[in-house]
Amino acid sequence: MSPILEYSSLEPSNQTIVRSVKLPPPPGFTGTKASSSKAPVKKTAPTKQSYDAIKAQRAWDFATSPAKQLPMQAFMLYMSGSGVQIFSMGIVFMLLMTPFKNVFSMNDAFAQFAPSTSKNSKSISTLPLQKLVYIACNLLTLGVGLWKCRSMGLLPTGTGDWLAFETRGPPPEVVLHY
Amino acid sequence: MWLLSWFWLLCAFSISSLALHETDVGVVDWYKPLIGVPMWDSTFTAPAFAKIGNRDLIITATGSNVLAALSVEDGSVVWRYVFEREEKIMGYYPQDKVIATLSGPGGAIVRTFDIATGELLLERPLHSIREGLLLEPAFLGASLAFDSSSEDIFTVSNAHTVTRLDGTTGAEIWKWNSPHHASKAILIKVLSTPEAVYAIGAQTSLSKLTLQIFALSPTTGELIESRDVSSKVADAISGVFSYVEPASNQAIVAWAEEGSPRTLILDSHLQNKPTSIEGITTLAYLIDLGLSNHGQFLGQAFDGGSQIMQISPSGTNIVPIHDFDVRTLGVFFGGGLDRAGQPYIARTYWSTELNKVILDVIGGGEKQEFTLGFETNEDGIVDHFTFRVSDDKKPQVVVTSSTGAVQAFSPTDLQWSRQESLATAHLAEFVELPERIVTESTADKSEGFFARLIRQVVQAQNLPQYLINFIRRFVTGSYASATSSAVPQSQNGTLYRDAFGFRQIIVTATTYGKVFGIDSSNGNVLWSRSLGLGSAINVGGVVTPKKMYVIKTVSDGTDPEVVIIAERRNAYRMVATVVFHINALSGADLTGASTKPEFLEGIDILDRGSIESYLLEGEKKVVIVLSESLQPHLYPDNAETQEVFQKAQAQLSFPIRTLTDDGNQQIVGHKFGTGDRPVAYPTWSLTLPDGEQVQRMSPPATKGPIASLGKVLGNRTTLYKYLNPRLVTTFTVSPTRGLCGLYLLDATKGTVVYHTEVKAHSGVCDMQASLTENWLVYHYYEGEAFDGDVKGTKGYRLVTVELYEGHGLDEKTRSSDMSSYVKDSTEITAYEQSYIFPHAITTLAPTTTKFGITSKDFIFATKNNKIQSFPRRYLNPRRTRGKPTAEEQEEGLIVYDPLIPDDPKRVLSHDYQVAGIKRIVTAPAVLESTSMVFAFGLDMFLTRVAPSSTFDVLSENFNKAQLVITIGALAAAILFTKPMVQRKRLREKWYQ
Repeated sequence: MSPILEYSSLEPSNQTIVRSVKLPPPPGFTGTKASSSKAPVKKTAPTKQSYDAIKAQRAWDFATSPAKQLPMQAFMLYMSGSGVQIFSMGIVFMLLMTPFKNVFSMNDAFAQFAPSTSKNSKSISTLPLQKLVYIACNLLTLGVGLWKCRSMGLLPTGTGDWLAFETRGPPPEVVLHY
Repeated sequence: MWLLSWFWLLCAFSISSLALHETDVGVVDWYKPLIGVPMWDSTFTAPAFAKIGNRDLIITATGSNVLAALSVEDGSVVWRYVFEREEKIMGYYPQDKVIATLSGPGGAIVRTFDIATGELLLERPLHSIREGLLLEPAFLGASLAFDSSSEDIFTVSNAHTVTRLDGTTGAEIWKWNSPHHASKAILIKVLSTPEAVYAIGAQTSLSKLTLQIFALSPTTGELIESRDVSSKVADAISGVFSYVEPASNQAIVAWAEEGSPRTLILDSHLQNKPTSIEGITTLAYLIDLGLSNHGQFLGQAFDGGSQIMQISPSGTNIVPIHDFDVRTLGVFFGGGLDRAGQPYIARTYWSTELNKVILDVIGGGEKQEFTLGFETNEDGIVDHFTFRVSDDKKPQVVVTSSTGAVQAFSPTDLQWSRQESLATAHLAEFVELPERIVTESTADKSEGFFARLIRQVVQAQNLPQYLINFIRRFVTGSYASATSSAVPQSQNGTLYRDAFGFRQIIVTATTYGKVFGIDSSNGNVLWSRSLGLGSAINVGGVVTPKKMYVIKTVSDGTDPEVVIIAERRNAYRMVATVVFHINALSGADLTGASTKPEFLEGIDILDRGSIESYLLEGEKKVVIVLSESLQPHLYPDNAETQEVFQKAQAQLSFPIRTLTDDGNQQIVGHKFGTGDRPVAYPTWSLTLPDGEQVQRMSPPATKGPIASLGKVLGNRTTLYKYLNPRLVTTFTVSPTRGLCGLYLLDATKGTVVYHTEVKAHSGVCDMQASLTENWLVYHYYEGEAFDGDVKGTKGYRLVTVELYEGHGLDEKTRSSDMSSYVKDSTEITAYEQSYIFPHAITTLAPTTTKFGITSKDFIFATKNNKIQSFPRRYLNPRRTRGKPTAEEQEEGLIVYDPLIPDDPKRVLSHDYQVAGIKRIVTAPAVLESTSMVFAFGLDMFLTRVAPSSTFDVLSENFNKAQLVITIGALAAAILFTKPMVQRKRLREKWYQ
């Protein structure tokens, strides 16, 4: 009779066999029993509150993320120069568009961080502080975009930009020229 | 290296694109050289045939101060010489190969020309122009004769001096002054014979005229003998004539005294006595017909009869050789020669039976009568004629008419015609032509369904043809280009404009009372009308156009209409103001005053002179003629125009030049009073410093649309333009202080908005200025500055001034709709810069475009006979003092340089000699980028300019074939690859 390797006897479920053989466990092997006996003492299963705290933390990170990108964007703007070309225009458009896109999809973006207590995760009232900061940061990006526009001369700030819309009426006195 | 060469090549292209291409010459421009209306009142300036080898020329001196030679065959100008304005031609004296002239007061300058080519051979002043005597008539006291054996010239100048000049070098050989230098005696003629040079003078005392004859030695100029011959001739100029008999080389003087002719044969010691010829007792005076070399002249009898007189070669006898019958209307005489040099005398008269001019030619032993093919309706009356007789005994007649036309007849048919009154054109307006109607709508509203169906089916048979044509045109057809000729194919004579509106009608009025409609595309005269004399038809008179207004344009939906305000002065010097109202496309009368269509008559709006006339612009244009009593008279005068006038009446004001009590010119502003018969009353007058006088006034150059109210700077702030529409430019002279002034006045209130003074150049103020929008450009000669010497920088200056509202950036006062009475109305900032200008100019004008968006160039007519444009870039008064900053560069400003570069590539007139230009008129075309420039005065020249290049049309080298081929190839590629792609997609679906 050839010996049969009974791997299944190693399974903790086959208690009878293990006990009967009484083999020491191989080095580094820890039975599930040992580990499971520790855990319930120190760490119970994560509660809802702790999840919420983590979510809030993550929401704060998300809210400030546009501000964190600013240095990089500023560098890109610096690199793209002040000329009106396809590259600089692309960056400027991105800078001007993303804040609006972000703000309009803000409720969706923050839904994943909604605390468990909230009834509607997509409501504007969930995470109000984070959202406010998020909007502020996006406005910062927008401000950088506008500043860039201004330095490129694309903002109608001078009187010259509105000159074409000025009108004049007929003169009150007429001179007959010969 | 090759990059660099490409760069230079590109530069070369970009520069040449600014200049006038040689291929454009004669396509975008045209040039009509003119000579002016011949001065026919003296035989020394009137047209005459001159024989050069075996061909003939017509030589004449003209009122425009031009000596010209015309081709006999076609009337073209063979050569001409334009004299300076202050140097009037006294006479021309042809010899075999040269022609000599005396010009300037008293014959100040003698010139000789090669008669065949017009090449100036010799030019020499006899005295300075200021020392010249001003005599009446002007040609008195100047005479010239050629030496019989050499080319030397003898002249009488300034009525007292005889000079012999070397014919090749012009050096003075001798000079002799008349002993009566201070007295009233004047020398009128010089005759040259081998023995002596005779100077013939005249002295009038009471009713008697004493002839003074001086015989001078031809070699030394010493007086050999002098003698006074008393005669009873009334007039020394027309009554006495003298000549050298060619066969005997004897000088003969002839005159009429107490009904009979007298002759005096001159010898060097003046021993001979006047011979009285018996048998003729009714001779009033003698007329020189230019045949004195042949001893023939015309004797005018007391009873009005005329005889041809022949003086015998010995000079002792005179025989009448022909008696003319008595005619009273339009009688003129002339002399001419045939090929062999035999003399002929001709007479024209007006035949009331035939309503034609009849020409009688006497000579060669026979009398011939012809009916001259002269159109009196078109060309007025014959003022002068000259003729030659060809081999078949037929005369060729060259006529100068009262309307300034120079015409050649054969003699019954017109051979050629030159409208020389165009050289006196002083008014010109561009008139747009209507658009061509491509498809005429034949449908009328009463047409039934079936009728329409049938018509459309019938029309549909043309559809395939139309489609083929369309495709052909689309693939191969060329589009109108901005540099193509503007002459469209003629379609049964109707006038319509070309695609870009380059074809317009230029209506010009001349001082000879003739109005022309000129095609702006080629310079041909489309129609011409003589302004009718109206009630002065029986007494005679002149009609002088004063003002011309376009009162209806094609945008009003009718044919364009032009109103001409003219002054009629009849033979009794009675003045009336006449209004002519014509259709600008045909010249047809619109007043209804013409009884026959061939005569153009006007309406007498005033039976006196007028002070001024104005155009009241608005939806309905009204002409206001101001009578001497300052009452307005309207044309057209109906209820509608009365209402328009009454509505505007309170707003209107106008400046008039008047004389003050001490005889100075001044400017007085007027407004219209109220009531049914309003009279204008003065509101302000311009107070000038002591001794300063008004020289002239000129309105803004253009009233085109203003595209922008301000000038935007590089940092996007704005300088608001000072656009006061009431500005009038006024020039003043103050002789006591030697200054010339320029004022910009607000003509409603009389406020001086801008004022400048420059030093007069030797007492003469010749400032040229032009104001457009807020931009004033003026030109003058600077010989000295206010603080003394200009140290070698004497020369022409051009100053460019721009007026802006307020006192800084972004300040606006709304000047264009502001009242004159508002305090801010004179709050302005003037930017000005002065430049050295390379040329003397006669006039300048800015370009005008349809919407006023294109930048404005200034066009100058220079005194070296060129029309040249100078770009706005150089004339910008805000050119920077240092290197321009980025913002200034963005605005297009360049560094100030005192000298305006004289770029020969900016000469618009090619190599034409565009002489004597007095005015430049610019007009917009349909293309915004392009402006039409018409220069006139003596010559006429028209061209187009695009100051900012033709940005609104496809460039010349746009490759349409390439575009069509590319599109075709792409379409073919799509057709070819579409099934392939579809198959591939289908296959892909199997593998998904």
